[in-house]
Formats: sequence, structure tokens, C-alpha cells
Amino acid sequence: MKLEEHLKKYFNYTTFRTGQKEVISSILEGNHTIAMLPTGTGKSLCYQLSGYLLKGQVIIISPLLSLMQDQTEQLMMNGEKRVIAFNSFLTPQERKQALSQLNTYKFIFLSPEMLKSDFILNRLRELQIALFVIDEAHCISQWGYDFRPDYLKLGDFRRKLGNPLTLALTATATPEVKEELISSLSLKNWNEYIYSVDRPNIVLAVEVIDSYHDKSDRLVELVQNLEGPGIVYFSSKKMAEKMTIHLKQNGIDRVMAYHGGMEQENRVLIQQQFLHDQLDVICATSAFGMGINKENIRYVIHFHMPLQLESYLQEIGRAGRDGMKSIALLLYSPGDEQLPFQLAEGELPSEAQLDFVYHLLEEKNNSINDLGELENELISLSGLTEVQWRVVADYLFGNTKEPMQQRYVQLKVFINERLQVKRKKINDMLIWTQAQLNGCRRKNILKYFKEDKTIEIDDCCDQCGIDLTVFYPKTKNHKTADNFFDWKKHLAKILLVSERG
Amino acid sequence: MIESSYHIKNKFPKKNRIILIMDMFVSVNLRLCDMMKNSYLSMIVLYCLHKINGERTIYSILHLLNGKKSSQTIQDAHIFNLTTFFSTFPLLKRAELDMHIDILNKQGFVSTNAEQSYCVTSVGLKQLEEYFKPNPIPANLNGWKFHNLTDLFWERLSLAIQVISHLKNRNSKYLPIQKSKEHHKWLKGYLYKCKLSKDELAEKLYDELVACLETMDGLDPSIFVKRVTGYQIIGLTEAQAADQFDMDEEAYHIQFLSILHYMLEKVGTKQGDFPLLSCMIEDKKRATPLTESSNRTFNLLQMGYRLEEIAQMRKLKKNTIEDHLVEIALNIPNFDISAFVNIDKQKEIKMAINSVSSKQLKYIRELVPDVDYFEIRLVLAKGGEKK
Repeated sequence: MKLEEHLKKYFNYTTFRTGQKEVISSILEGNHTIAMLPTGTGKSLCYQLSGYLLKGQVIIISPLLSLMQDQTEQLMMNGEKRVIAFNSFLTPQERKQALSQLNTYKFIFLSPEMLKSDFILNRLRELQIALFVIDEAHCISQWGYDFRPDYLKLGDFRRKLGNPLTLALTATATPEVKEELISSLSLKNWNEYIYSVDRPNIVLAVEVIDSYHDKSDRLVELVQNLEGPGIVYFSSKKMAEKMTIHLKQNGIDRVMAYHGGMEQENRVLIQQQFLHDQLDVICATSAFGMGINKENIRYVIHFHMPLQLESYLQEIGRAGRDGMKSIALLLYSPGDEQLPFQLAEGELPSEAQLDFVYHLLEEKNNSINDLGELENELISLSGLTEVQWRVVADYLFGNTKEPMQQRYVQLKVFINERLQVKRKKINDMLIWTQAQLNGCRRKNILKYFKEDKTIEIDDCCDQCGIDLTVFYPKTKNHKTADNFFDWKKHLAKILLVSERG
Repeated sequence: MIESSYHIKNKFPKKNRIILIMDMFVSVNLRLCDMMKNSYLSMIVLYCLHKINGERTIYSILHLLNGKKSSQTIQDAHIFNLTTFFSTFPLLKRAELDMHIDILNKQGFVSTNAEQSYCVTSVGLKQLEEYFKPNPIPANLNGWKFHNLTDLFWERLSLAIQVISHLKNRNSKYLPIQKSKEHHKWLKGYLYKCKLSKDELAEKLYDELVACLETMDGLDPSIFVKRVTGYQIIGLTEAQAADQFDMDEEAYHIQFLSILHYMLEKVGTKQGDFPLLSCMIEDKKRATPLTESSNRTFNLLQMGYRLEEIAQMRKLKKNTIEDHLVEIALNIPNFDISAFVNIDKQKEIKMAINSVSSKQLKYIRELVPDVDYFEIRLVLAKGGEKK
């Protein structure tokens, strides 16, 4: 059977998207494969279809709980029940049961901290592993924006599994990151498929606006005029909520906020309403968008600048998946970069927190036998987040050969380095935002990823010159809520009417 | 007020200061509109304050609305005739309650009579009457009776409607509105047990829902139906629905709960008329409305064990078992308390209760010094609520 026929059989698609066929063929021929495919082009299909065509289990390492959740849901929606995700959501009982019948699964997702568990490793070794997938492979790089210390254990973990056939997937990786990936996995032969991060149908624009107040006015104006549907990204939950109210007060009915602080049932509803065109605009934090397979998003506006160009590309990449012209607009006010700097610092433990933890441990006389009990106390007293704590714990308890004080110093050095990396990323973002000085935005963002801009595009970016009214619809399309409601008819529509007649 | 909602246990808030300040700026605006919007909940709090009449602290209201399953809270709910509100706002925070009390106080609706205790003023009473006259608290609201079924019923029902709607349309690719695996598992068994074709199932469920909702008095079925999700129709969130009905969220919430309680009542009493709906909670209905622990004590009592023996067997304090007994007395209509308080004592206590205007135990006990608090509580529980 041809690959296309398999695609039709398993996913009911008729054609592959850019890169998918090449990557899948490479895997099926037994090659380790590195694939860099831009956001929104269906990376997960690469391992899903390969998995169906290979004998044995597919193991996927995925760094984000929400991402993992989303991918398992997608597989299940597609009728695949042999899926399991090992992460902190699993109760000990569920976990135990899943481990005892591991060979009944086809797709096994692991969060990075699971790489530390010898127990899981040993169970995995009993399987016939068809494919070892590293999702978001850029997390392996210490110089990447999204470094996960646990990813450093990948090479070792993979070796202990007997170096199974490997697929590394990412949307954004500079050549240096790729080198790091290859060396930490100690790959000798591999195929790589690197596609441009460029999405030619997305117009890039930055608007510099004097004040916060003007910015919210401008947002109203844009949302009123641009052809939807669209997403507006914010760096804070409160702001996303506040601007939702502001937009509503200005006559935009079909808008809702979405962020991680919302109840799960409401999150699902809002997301589904957007997918089914019951909403025109979502005011969101970065929690929104993962796995939102909505084809016709026409604009993505950033009310705050993201912490790095990688995230920016990822977020604007949600626009125009149908290939139609779409626009990415970043609203910048002088001083906006202060917030990202604050957020970046907040992601890492502060010096004071580190000192606090260290001294508390010293007080306990280094007699740490039961870390579990001490752990909760330390976390709550120091105010560290779970991710922060994992980094700290990794350094202070990971390598017990060296004296505590030395490990503590190493931890401080590490955190300082991370901070420098993050600051540099924000600066790069800022420089790009202020590109008036040095030309085409597309060229600059490609340069950042060490790519050249090779094609000329009409409506490229604000620097090359664009006409925003192209993105205004011919007729105003903001629908207002329907006032007439007959509950029996509505219920009948849900339960009695079928599209099949 | 704002301070109190930002309890920072973290010893090092400094580094986040700018973000916090920014958030506060935002939250001031949000809070102001909250205050205006929250008036329904303020009125519920005022109503509760009126009922408890200064004899409990304001936090007893918090426990009541949160649905705390302590004997004290359960008893209070019964003594003060507030069982309807039990567990109606499980997520209400202490700071929010303080805010509502503050608003009531500033408007002169309540005045403080002891620490953390308030009485409703005559202005407050008038306000209550004016507020609830045009939109009374729905008669179907019954928090205590249905508190452990309400969420489950909604979650199962909304999932069942969604899945059956997709079955009807022969579409298998969609995201379930409820994510809990337990619900998914339950639904599978449910569909299997129904033994109906996809089309029959949808039709019968429609008929039952219409029959159930149609006869409802004083509540608009749209309040419920707008929340329902099906094939290519996604239901509204609570906030969205409240918005569409131009109600504040708490008012909407109470109406929505009342509809669920109405359905539970109706479906529970006429199971034969609503096989599909009543089947949704069949496995979770308990014979008694007791908490798990009290139920175990009740079973042991019925097996003839004495109070002290039960305490020993269960490795619990005698006090705890006494709390269970009070809960049992409150909830089991024909439970006989004379094994614990003899008839003469009961009479004595009843007289004392009737001659005292307060329900605080210490005033009652002043009149009958030879009985203990446990005995008074039992009689109070049994004698029920003073009219």
C-alpha cells in the first residue's frame, strides 16, 4: 500500500502536509530522524502514522502536561484507545495498573521527570519499542529558551533502552540547538528534515503605541475591524479577563477569555465554542492554542510581547492554517519589556529563596533521609513553584557524591546562566520589535533562526509596507447574540435532528 | 479587602512585586464590578444572618454555603432552617464572605453584636423583603437533600446528552465535555444498559427531558437548556448564560441548581416515568442522607452496640460519636433518642428551649443545669426547629 492509502485509512486525510511524507518514509526505512517542521503543520502525525505501520510500541517524551493531554485526546478522538500518559495526573493506582499491562498500549507518553524512574525504565525494557519520539526536542538545549534539565537524561535513558529507532521533533531550533541534540543522543547516522520556520501567508506587523490606554483603544478598534476569527494574547490572566470585559463594553459580543486559571469544564466549553464559530475572539494567555486545530484563524494580536521569538512564532503560527492570508500584529508600548523581564526572573528561584532552602537544609543537619516529607515543607515555606523546586532538588539531591555546599554553588551558577539566556532572548525579541532601524521583519526573524529569506511576498510586513484594510471584511461580521430562544426547539436540535435526515 | 485576597505565604514576594501591583490595579476594577454584581450573594448572606439571628459567627454561614460536612454545620443548617442553602457555593472564600458582610454593614443592613457576629437591622429586614419579593428563592432549591448528587447528576447528564447527540449524528470525533475517565466509563455502561438503538435513545431522552422540565413551576427551562452541549452546538458556561439572562452570576447559579434539584426530586419520585434520567444516579443514591462516618455509626447502633462501644470499636472519641448521633437524630425521622435522653429529661429540656429566645446551648443549659450539652443537642435535633 502506498503511504497515502495508509494516511486515508488511519486518519481519513487524502494528502500529506509539507514534510510529513519525507519524515515518515525516513523512519519506515529505519533511520534516526530529526524533523524541524513549522508550527501548525501536523508534527504529531509523523509519529502517529509511523507508529501504526511499525510493530511494537511508540514512546513519546513530551515536556508539557497540557501538550501531552492534548495529544492523547487527539489520538482517542481518532478512535485509538491504546494510549497512556505517565504524568503527575495519574493516581498511584492508575499508574500501577497501567504499568502492569504496558504491552497492551500502542502509544506511551512520558513526562520528562519519568526518565528518572528506574522502575519505569525496566518495565519499558521489556517491550518491543518501535519508535522513540522526543517531542519539543529543543528543550534539550541549555541555550534554548525552554530548557528542561530532565531532558539531559534522555541520552542515557535511550541508551539503556537499547538505542531504539528515534524521531526528534521540534518547530523551532537554531543550528546550535540541533548540534546539542545530536551530541547528547550520541547519534552517528541520521536523516534530517529541516523546513523553514517561515509561514508566508502570515503578514507580520508591529504597531508602536504611546501608552497603555491608547493600546486598549487600539485593540478595540482592531477587533471591531479585522476579519475574524482571531486570538489576542496577553501575559497575564487578569489582563486577558479585563480586556474581555472592555471589548464587551465596546459592543463586541462574541468574545471570551481563556486561561489556565479557569475551571476545566469552562475551558473545554470556551475552546469548543471557538472551534465551532460560536465565538469570534479569544482573549488568552499562552495556555490557549496548544492543539487548537482551527483552520481559519485570520489574526493573532499580541497585547504583550512574548519572552522570546520562538514563542512568538509558535503563537502566531496558529493563524492561517488553511493557507489563506492572515495577520500577526504585535502591539508595543515603550517599557513593555519590563513585564517579560519580571516574568523571566519569576520563572527561576531567587537568590533569597535558594539561601533559605540551603540554610534550612543545613539546620536539619544534612540529615535528609525522608525527602518526601521535607519536600512539601520546603516548597511551601520557600514559595518555590513545582518546576523551580524540581531544578533545585535536582542539584541539591541529584548528585550526592559532592558536598552540599559545592552543589549549592553549582546551582547558583546554573540559575544565573539561565537568567542570562532568558534576558538575551527578551532582548532579541525587543530588537526585532523595534525593527524600524533595520528593515524587513520576515528577514530578521529568519535571520534569528539562521535562515535566509528566499522568496518575495506581497504584503510581507509593516516594514515592507502593507495595507491593513486588506484584512477588513467587506461587511461587518460581528454577530450579536441571538435573543429569541425556544428551549424545546433547541433541545430538539440537539437530540432529534440528524444531519443524515 | 484587596490585601486580604492576596495572602502571600511566600516569604519572598519582593521579586514579584511589580506584577502583583499590576494585577492589583486590574483587580480593583474587577472587584468594583464584582461588588455591584455580587448583590444577590450579599442578599443570601443577609438572609442567612437573619435566620441565625446573631447566635453563630458569620463563618457558620461560610461553612453552610461551602457544604462543610461537620456535625456542627449540619445541625445549624437544620436548627436555623437553612438546609436549602447547604453546599450551594462550595468555592466561596472567607475573604469574599468578609467582603459581603462589609458591604451589608456599610449599607446599614446589619450591625455587629459580638465579634464576628451580626444581627440584621430593621432596614436590613425591609431590604430582604423588597429584594426577594419580586424574585423569591426558588422553592425547589434543596441543597442538603441533593448536595452529593447535584454535581454528579449534571456531569453525567451533560455528558450523556452530548454523546447521544453525536451518536444520533453518527459522529465519533469530538471532544467530550467532561474529562473525567470515571464519567466516560460510567457512560459506556449506561449506554449498554439502556439497550436502545441510537435513534431511540436520543428520542426517549428528549421526551423525558421535555416531560420533566415542562411541568416546572416558576423556573425557566432555558436556564438549563442553554448549558447543554450536543452535535455542533456547544453549551454556554455559567457566566455566559447568566450574562444572556441578564442576571448576576450567583442569582443564575441558584436558579440553575434549583432546576437540577427539581429534576432530581421529580425523577427520583417517579422513576417509572423517567427511566433514562433516574438511571443516571441510581448507583449513587444512598438510603440515608448521612455522612459516610455517621452512617457507619448508625449501622452499629442498629446492631445494638452502645455509644461507648462504638467509640472504642471505631477508635474515635466519644464526642465524635455524639456528633454522629445528633446528625442521625436530625436526618432519620423515626430515630428514637430516649435511649440517650430519658423522656422526663426530654420534657424538661423542651420546656427550657421554649422559654429561651435563643438557640445558643449555654442559655438553655442555664435553665436545666442537670443535663449536658449532648442531651440538649439531641432534643434540639429531634424537636426540630422552633417555629
